[in-house]
Amino acid sequence: MRALLRQSLLILGLACLPAAGEALYLRDKVSWQSPIPASEMVTVADARGWGSNAIWVDARHEEEFSNEHVPGAILLNGDRWNDLLPQVLAAWSPGKRIVVYCSSVSCGSSREVASRLRKEAELKNVFVLEGGWEAWRETTKK
Amino acid sequence: MGSVAGDDKEMTTATSNSPPPWTGSATGSAQPSSFRRFAWRILAIVIGALFVYAGVLKAWDPVRFAGDIENYHVLPWAVNVRLAFFLPWLEIICGLGLIFRRLYSGALALVIALLIVFIGASIAAKMRGIDISCGCFGHVSDQLSFAWHLVLDFAILAGALALWRWDRQPHRADG
Repeated sequence: MRALLRQSLLILGLACLPAAGEALYLRDKVSWQSPIPASEMVTVADARGWGSNAIWVDARHEEEFSNEHVPGAILLNGDRWNDLLPQVLAAWSPGKRIVVYCSSVSCGSSREVASRLRKEAELKNVFVLEGGWEAWRETTKK
Repeated sequence: MGSVAGDDKEMTTATSNSPPPWTGSATGSAQPSSFRRFAWRILAIVIGALFVYAGVLKAWDPVRFAGDIENYHVLPWAVNVRLAFFLPWLEIICGLGLIFRRLYSGALALVIALLIVFIGASIAAKMRGIDISCGCFGHVSDQLSFAWHLVLDFAILAGALALWRWDRQPHRADG
């Protein structure tokens, strides 16, 4: 039993070494305190304040989008990325801000879509809506 | 000479009476056959290879894996992102331990513990209504349904537990 514990602890320790090395190597590319840096988030109130300068991108599934969405929002998700991306690019122009949302604060698709828009489409001013669709609904109810 | 001849005779008799190694009774019933030992080795290598494969996929993109862990909504991001760097390497080292039989018992115990945690977290997330990508095999597993994830995880767990039981039997004294 002691040998087992010793081996397990040794493996746990061994795994720390390459993990620490990789973390050190990628330290500038990782947001350590929040999944999305604060500079890439936007509240519903702020995003609404941008008016027509904001392009709303819905990163949920097509069925959810069909049921209800932010007025004027464009559907864009990983399922049909190549088919849907041209619509976003057509709506985009320099100076416009893109606001990506998914269902709630817990979903990850808005983060992924925003990240792909920045990396693959090389768009700037891409933000993730804080609280997602749920937050939008709550705000518009009031 | 006589004694030598006698020894030779005994040896010859013993050899001729010895059952073939694959029957599993060469030195008593506790001794495993070569075939069974080979089969268990293969199982250990397969499970080890799966862990190495899963670990490499995740170590390649730790930020994405951090997002996958985040989707479980169990731990804060600051912990998730650190786990995302650590867990893939733990899987790789455990997998290599199983393949090359180094630190074998520790590696097997950790593999079992990891699988139990993965399965438990997946079921708990599903019960809470969270639609998750388990992230078990990085982006490769995106197309797998939740049910298939569970089937795969339970199959690997069953194999690992069988290895554990086999390893704990007296005949494994050969190490």
